[in-house]
Amino acid sequence: MGMTKLGRAGAPAIRCDKVEVSIKKKKVLNQVAFEVGAGCLAGLLGPNGAGKSTLLRLLTGLLPPDSGSVELFGAPAGPDRLAEVSFLPDRGQLPVYLSAGEWLGFAARLYPDWSRARERELTAKLEVDPARRIGSMSRGEEARLQLLTCLSREAPLLILDEPFTGVDLLSRERIASAVVGEMADGERTFLIATHDIREMEHLFDSIVLLGDGTVKAAYEVEALRESGRSVESCYREVFA
Amino acid sequence: MPPGKNWTMEDFRLDPSRPLYEQFTEQIRTMIAKGELEPGTRLPSVRETASSLRVNPTTVMKTYQELERQALLVTYRGQGTFVTREEAAIDRSRKELARTAVNQLKETAKSLGLTPEQLWALALEE
Repeated sequence: MGMTKLGRAGAPAIRCDKVEVSIKKKKVLNQVAFEVGAGCLAGLLGPNGAGKSTLLRLLTGLLPPDSGSVELFGAPAGPDRLAEVSFLPDRGQLPVYLSAGEWLGFAARLYPDWSRARERELTAKLEVDPARRIGSMSRGEEARLQLLTCLSREAPLLILDEPFTGVDLLSRERIASAVVGEMADGERTFLIATHDIREMEHLFDSIVLLGDGTVKAAYEVEALRESGRSVESCYREVFA
Repeated sequence: MPPGKNWTMEDFRLDPSRPLYEQFTEQIRTMIAKGELEPGTRLPSVRETASSLRVNPTTVMKTYQELERQALLVTYRGQGTFVTREEAAIDRSRKELARTAVNQLKETAKSLGLTPEQLWALALEE
């Protein structure tokens, strides 16, 4: 524990300000600014091509911004912050020739913050069969194994990129339950990028709506509902 | 919810454009008033409930806090959260629900230009 020691006490888990990124002369992110408080579960919502994955690459230190600042717990993001971020990439591929159990054995040795206790608890909760070969898994099973890999670490910030793409209903529900169980102690912060809000609408504390590389709107979700709007209606208003 | 079990989303009807904790509070209050949740029933923890309903733990925490404020739930440190055994608190909540229902009836009557008694009589006409 004590993973947040690099940051200032009370600093938000994520803070982006005036972030700009161009790829091949095209501006992919333009003046992006938002914050996610520590202990929150935030949704990064937007259609395909909005710039979500690029933004996540900045947060995970895989790409530096052209300008602007990206901070995690009050200190700049970058490759040296990888120990504090557990990332579930979109369309990530696990080695097909391994069984789930073999993969978890590698992951346990790869990540210094791996928790065998968490791994055991989540293996049961997400109903992952350790004997099963990754190559023969359905999309839903593989997604659950990827989430298991992500959640078994003790990193204080978890970033999930499209954890539901092509995942069946029951797997989606298990994934959502596992995420909730992990955040209940209020010590972990989640940012979940998705264009599919069905299983997640009730989970978010806050949402950031990203479209055409800019933040179109950001809301505290219960405040949004106080004004008689839902996450879905809001998404429609902004993107339809 | 049978004793020792967790809630599922089937136990609730949610409107996504109203604050969720308000709706959970109302619906659990109704379960207590109707006796579906018996006095002394131990409720699942915030974490278990959030996980089984797949809602933000803060939502469940606020729901339990609000129901405690209304004296319908009591929390004993280290033991958990229980439905109150105080008849008076449950009675108060039943009265509250009755008042809400009657107020709705009055509004329907008013929108039809009737008194509640006339509305009642009209509904009973052949």
